[in-house]
Order: sequence, then C-alpha cells, then structure tokens
Amino acid sequence: MIETIIQAVVFPGLLYTLLWTVGLFWFFRKFMAALHKRVGPHFNGVAGSYQTLFDLSKLLTKESITPVGVNPYLFSIMPLLAVVVAMLPSAFIPWTDSGAVVGSEYGLLALVILIGVEPFLLFLTGFGSNNKYSFLGGIRILTQSISMETSFFLAALSPALLFGTLNLSTIVDSSSWFSFLVLFPGFILYFIALLGLLEQPPFNIPDAEQEIVYGFYTEYSGTNYFLLKLAEFAEFMAVFAGAVTLFLGAYKGVFVDSYFFFFTKMLFIAIVMMTIRAATPRITLAQMLNFSWRYMVPITLLNLAWVLLAKALFFVGA
Amino acid sequence: MDYVRKIVEEFESKYIENYKKNWLKAKLSSKGDLLSIAKKLKEEGLRSLSTVSPTDFLEENVMEVNYFFEDLDTKRNLWLKVDLPREVEECSIESLTPLFASAEWHEREAYSMFGVNFLNHPDLRDIIKSQDYAGVYPFRKDFDWDAHEENTVQNIQSIVDAFKEEQNENELDLDSDSSETILNWGPTHPASGPIRLRVHCDGEEIISIDPDIGYVWRALEHLVTKKDFVGAIVAVERLCFMDNVNSMTGYAMAVEEIAGVEITPFASWMRVVLGETARISSHFMGLGGFFNNMGLHTLAMWNMDTREFFLDFLESYSGARIATASVEPGGVRYGLDMVMFEELQKALDKFDESIGEVEAIFVKNPTMKLRANNVGVLSKDEIHTFGLSGIVARGSGVKTDIRIDEPYAAYGELNLEYITQEGGSSKDRFEMLFRELKQSVSIIKQAKAHIEEAVASGEMNPTKDHMVKMPKKLPKGEAISRVEWARGEVLMHLVTEEKAKSPYRLKMRAPSFNHTMMLNHLLKGQSLSDIPLIFGSLYICQGDLDR
Repeated sequence: MIETIIQAVVFPGLLYTLLWTVGLFWFFRKFMAALHKRVGPHFNGVAGSYQTLFDLSKLLTKESITPVGVNPYLFSIMPLLAVVVAMLPSAFIPWTDSGAVVGSEYGLLALVILIGVEPFLLFLTGFGSNNKYSFLGGIRILTQSISMETSFFLAALSPALLFGTLNLSTIVDSSSWFSFLVLFPGFILYFIALLGLLEQPPFNIPDAEQEIVYGFYTEYSGTNYFLLKLAEFAEFMAVFAGAVTLFLGAYKGVFVDSYFFFFTKMLFIAIVMMTIRAATPRITLAQMLNFSWRYMVPITLLNLAWVLLAKALFFVGA
Repeated sequence: MDYVRKIVEEFESKYIENYKKNWLKAKLSSKGDLLSIAKKLKEEGLRSLSTVSPTDFLEENVMEVNYFFEDLDTKRNLWLKVDLPREVEECSIESLTPLFASAEWHEREAYSMFGVNFLNHPDLRDIIKSQDYAGVYPFRKDFDWDAHEENTVQNIQSIVDAFKEEQNENELDLDSDSSETILNWGPTHPASGPIRLRVHCDGEEIISIDPDIGYVWRALEHLVTKKDFVGAIVAVERLCFMDNVNSMTGYAMAVEEIAGVEITPFASWMRVVLGETARISSHFMGLGGFFNNMGLHTLAMWNMDTREFFLDFLESYSGARIATASVEPGGVRYGLDMVMFEELQKALDKFDESIGEVEAIFVKNPTMKLRANNVGVLSKDEIHTFGLSGIVARGSGVKTDIRIDEPYAAYGELNLEYITQEGGSSKDRFEMLFRELKQSVSIIKQAKAHIEEAVASGEMNPTKDHMVKMPKKLPKGEAISRVEWARGEVLMHLVTEEKAKSPYRLKMRAPSFNHTMMLNHLLKGQSLSDIPLIFGSLYICQGDLDR
C-alpha cells in the first residue's frame, strides 16, 4: 500500500513528472539559447535554474480566466485530464531493472493507447474554448494525430514483432546491440512520427502561433495553462521513454545497468529534437498530410517487413 | 522625350516641361481629359501609377491633384497635374483604378484625407483614418484638429461602435450552418503587427482578405507642416524606424532642390554609408521576420547578434541606435570622427565572419524551399500593374532600383548593379533580401574606402564638410525626390509657399501601401498557413503603410 502511494506520488509519479518538467523546461531554454546565440535564463539560481520554478509557481498562482460563453466544466477539466492521461504511461515503463510499476503482458499496448488518447483531449480543449483560432487548432491537432499516429504505432510495433511479445520488460531483456541495429530504421521512423505527435518542428502545425495564435492554447491562462504545459512535458517523457524502452535498451548501460543510462538516452533524444527545432521551419498541414500518408505510412509498413525478414533470418534459429 | 511628350501634347495643357533626368512635368487644363490621356499612356508603356497626391491650396481655392506615372522598363516617368474645385461637393474626378490597379488604395487615401471624390471607383471607402473622422477630411487645410481632439471620449466611442456593428454584420451575413467564418488576423496577433486583416475563410481555405489599416496612423504628412524644415526630419524618419536614414535623405534632397543648395561630396558619401547601414539593419530584421513567420526564431536571433554591431556604428555617429535623425537638409547632421569608422569596420568584420553560416543553414534550407517556393508568386506584369518596387519587384525579375535609375547622393560614382531573381515567389523575395544585404555591405566597403582615401589626401574635411549653409526661408516651389528605401521606392513630393519656414505639403509615397494592396490578390484560395508567410515575404512595415 505504502509502496503504491510512494510510486504514485514520488517515483515515477507526480513528483518525478514535476521534476522532469521543471528540469527539461530549463534545459530546453538554456540549450535553445545557446543555439540562438543568446544567454537564456541567467540570474536566478545556478545558470538560471530557478527561473522555470518561479515561472511555474507564477502560473499556478495567477488568475485563471474562463471566457464567457464556454462550458466551464469542459474548459477546466480537460487540462486536468490531459495531465493525468499524459502521466499514466510512466507506470508501464520499466525505468529500472526491477521492472515497471504495473508489470503487464500488454505494456506496449497500454503505452501506445495512452499516448494516442492525448491529442483527442487537446482537441477537446480547443473545441471547448469557443474561439475560432482554438477551434482551428483543435481540428488541426485531430488531423495531425490521425495521420502521424498511424506510422507511430506501426513503428512502435517493430520491436514487438521482432521479440514476439508486448511485454515491455521482456523487450528490454531481449534487446542487444544486434537487435538495435535491426531496429534502427524503426527507431528513425518512430522519431519522425514522434515529432509529429509532439507537435515539434517541422510539424508544429496545431499550435502555430503565427497562423492560428497557438491554436488550442489561445484562451488558456494561469493554472489551466500550467496544467496544459505540464501535460505537454509529461507527454514528452512518455514518448521519449517509449523510444528508449523499445529501441535503445532502456536502463541497460555499458558496465552497469542503472536509471542513469535511461535518463541519458532520453536526454539524447531531447537534444536531437531541440536541434531540429532550432533549424527547421514549419510546413503546412497539406504538406504534412502528404508526407505522412504518401511516405511515412508505406515506409513504416516496409520496415515491418524488414523486421520480419530479419527475424526469420537471424533470430528464429537461435 | 519623345513619346511621353507627344502624348501629352495631344491634349490641352497649361505647361509641359522637362524635369530631372527621367521626368516630364505637365499640367492639364481640363480634368475631363484625364481618362483619355491615361488610356494612351498605358498603351505606350507607362503602366504603373505610383501615387495620387492632392495638394490643398486654400488661398487659390484649388485642389491640385498630382499623378505620378512610371514606366519601370524605360524609366520614362510623367508627373501630371490637374486642378479641381475645392468645394467638397464639386471636388470630383474620374477614377483611374479601372485602368491602373495600383491606383485603388491611393485614390481611397486621397478621398479619405482630402475628400476628392473619384467617380467610378469600384470601392471608394475610407482608409487609414479611424471612424471618428468619418465625413471630415483631416488633411484639408481648413480642418480644425484641436476641435476634433476635444471630443476624445466620443471619438473613441464611435470607433468602438463601428467595430461592434461590423462584428454583428459578420455574424448575420454568414450562414450559421456553413463552415465559413471571418477571422480577425490582427491587430494583436503574434505575427501581424498593428494591422488587421479581415480574413473571410472556409475552414482553412481563404475566400477573401480585406486589410484594415491605420492602427499606427500618426498623420506624419500633416505633422511635418507644423515643424520647421529641420524639425520635420524626425517625422520623416518615423516612416519606419528600421530604415530611417534613407527616408530622411529623400526629404532632404527635396528641400535642397527647392532651396537650390548643393551639398558637399563628403556629405553625399556619408549619406551612402549611413543609408546602407540602415538598409542592412532593416534587411536583417526582414530576413529574421521571414523565418519567424514560419515558426523558426533562430535566424532572427543570429541576425540581431550581427545587427547590433551596425547599430553601434550608428550610435557612435549620431548618439542613437534606431531613430538617428542623422541626415538633414544641407548635408549630414554631424561631422565624422575617423575613429567612428573603426566601429563600422568591426561590424563589417563581424558580418563577413558570420554570414557564411547563415547562408548554409537558412538560405539553403531545404524545408524553407519546400515551404516557400511557388507560394505567393508575382509575375512581371503584376509588378507593373500594381506599381510594386524594391525587393518584391526585383524578386520577379523587374530591373528597378532608384539608386541606379536616378542616382542620388554618391550612388552614381559607385560600382552598383541590379540584383534580380526570376521566380517571383516568396522564396525568391527572401533570397533577394539576402543578396541585397551582401550588396549593401559591398557598397559600404566602397564608400568607406573612398572617404578614407579622400580624407587622407586632404580632399575632404570630415569635421567641417558635413553641412552647407541652408537659407532660413525657402522660396515658393515644389519638388519630388525618389530614394531606394529598404522596402522599396519612396517618392517624396514637397510643396512650399513663399518665404516658407515649414513644408506646406509633403506627400510620402511609401512602398508598403502598394504591397499590402496585393494581399487579397495573392492569398485568395490559399490556406491560412500562407498568410504569415506571404505577408512576411512582401516585407511590409506598418509604419510606412499608415504614415
């Protein structure tokens, strides 16, 4: 009982997510600043590390404005729901070699479903805002998630097919340097789909501030905005952790296995994502749809064929 | 002179005279001839109507309307005048919009500010001025500004009422079951600046765009008439603070022409150095803004980094980084301490060192090309028809650059070539900006070397040569001057009265006005994603849009 509470509140639950959000937020700012030839947060704490903490506490205490004419329950419950759903996947991730909090035979299925539900909640925030820009953002997020999630799921399926299991712990146990190489195309595809799913450039179409004023974020302020941001960073964590678990061998390290390696791998993915963000402009919705259905989905299908072939060639006999 | 003169001579006119190198100046006797002469001019190749500028002569009881026709290919231009009666009821003339598409907004402006009624204009509504000026004409000499300002609360109320009424109309006009809606893109939008586009769209597809401008209307053209000739430069430079020097140069040239004053070679070379520095500062912002509009802020930040060095030079020269007030009639405002050129050298070194990575990462960016190629394409014909200029015109392959066509300051002595690009798309306009940035740096290098040489040989005295004496009072007269401003061609039309201490009328024809007119034309049928991109690529500044 106490163990469950600790897991829910501390690791890998609420506190861990908050720490990750604050830390990653600060890291994004500092890293982007370097790429921008700026200084970034500077004055508060070591290298401005308190800045994010202050910003988040400011958002929490600010007035949260609910526009006239919206359903206040729909408007305010969606951010909360979004955070909860974004935090749930971490219960299924094997963070350390002691396994996941919920050790399930269907861990991968739970992961992709929980990640896949999130955009729909964000669509509802846009829908519930009673604002033209938010609504357009909501439509865009739905369009994007439908087309990018197809390839995301197909790419996430490749380790499951290779090892013949949906159990995430088993996938991690069976992974090796060789399986990493076999799954490498799958990893690249997963990463591209991840950019679309997390609305990162060049696929930051649903919250394009220059086009539709941050889309579904437009009407949100104060605590609700904080919750949406928290959901976004918790979602980062879920998707990064998914990539590390499925393709990069999770906590497996060079000499010892530890959470440290898990974290380093997640950070590596974050750095690559940030670098792309700093050098790639946004494409249009039509171009994204074109890219997704004409290239991504067929190639992820081909990748599945490659994984099955590799399995037949190298893994079945062994 | 040739074919333009021949056409004008066919009609009865008060005078026809040659003006400057490229211009013919004429005054029609009867306003009835305007339409037929315009038709002939268009057939002969003068396809762009640069602007329509009325001048209100209160004492003579005459409203004189000036038309500036340009041929961007042969550079033969015509300045045509015609007198109208001043009374509001009779102050009307045939509209040229059916013939010259570029006239549409200029005629609307003349209508809003002076009450000139243009017959057969397709869409004669108020523009720029706010709703509290409905029915009155603020630029007429007998308009009482003080009386108008007294009713501040009422004025604001009328603006609010008009906005609410418009909003209600929008909701009523549109079928509530359809997916059509009207979006207010601005004036407080992340990418708009102080302008409002009424975007009538069906989902993501744009049906039409009606720009609502005037949010930064400072009535600069009226403001200058309240100041003396030197004081007016602070109003003129606020055309757009990004490139403030070249607009002052244009104004100063017009004043000098009326006063009959020649400036020193040192001052004209300094105008080149300062002008190009301001152009660089503007182009850096333009390049960054283009990528900002596609959601990528890195280039803007990098450009800021280099731009600061150029602003350092402006600061060391004039004491101000942005609004420098550094050019005034008679020369340039301050003498030059040669130490200041060290700041400039630092900026040039920084530029040379950092421009390579900008080109590699952003100018050759494949995603940018994927996104911006074939978007917002302008053909050569459209450049002529809509009177576009600057990088927009050159991006479509039209060779127009006032620095070469009508050399001013010391541009005639420089090694300068047209830079053009053939495609005419947003991507081409972006590349034009980048190439012109490099061109400006090369001009600065040439001019700097020339000044340094001349100073070393004793030809120029940098502390004494910067100004020549200007007369306290100017004679009656008028002049036009054109400069290649960062965003395109600026035409200044200055009118003075007898013993003038301040301008009687200054018309500033600013390029963004024409470029904004293109938005509906370019965006119809495109998607919402293209608004910021095309808007950004037209290099519009709201400062010179509203004036």
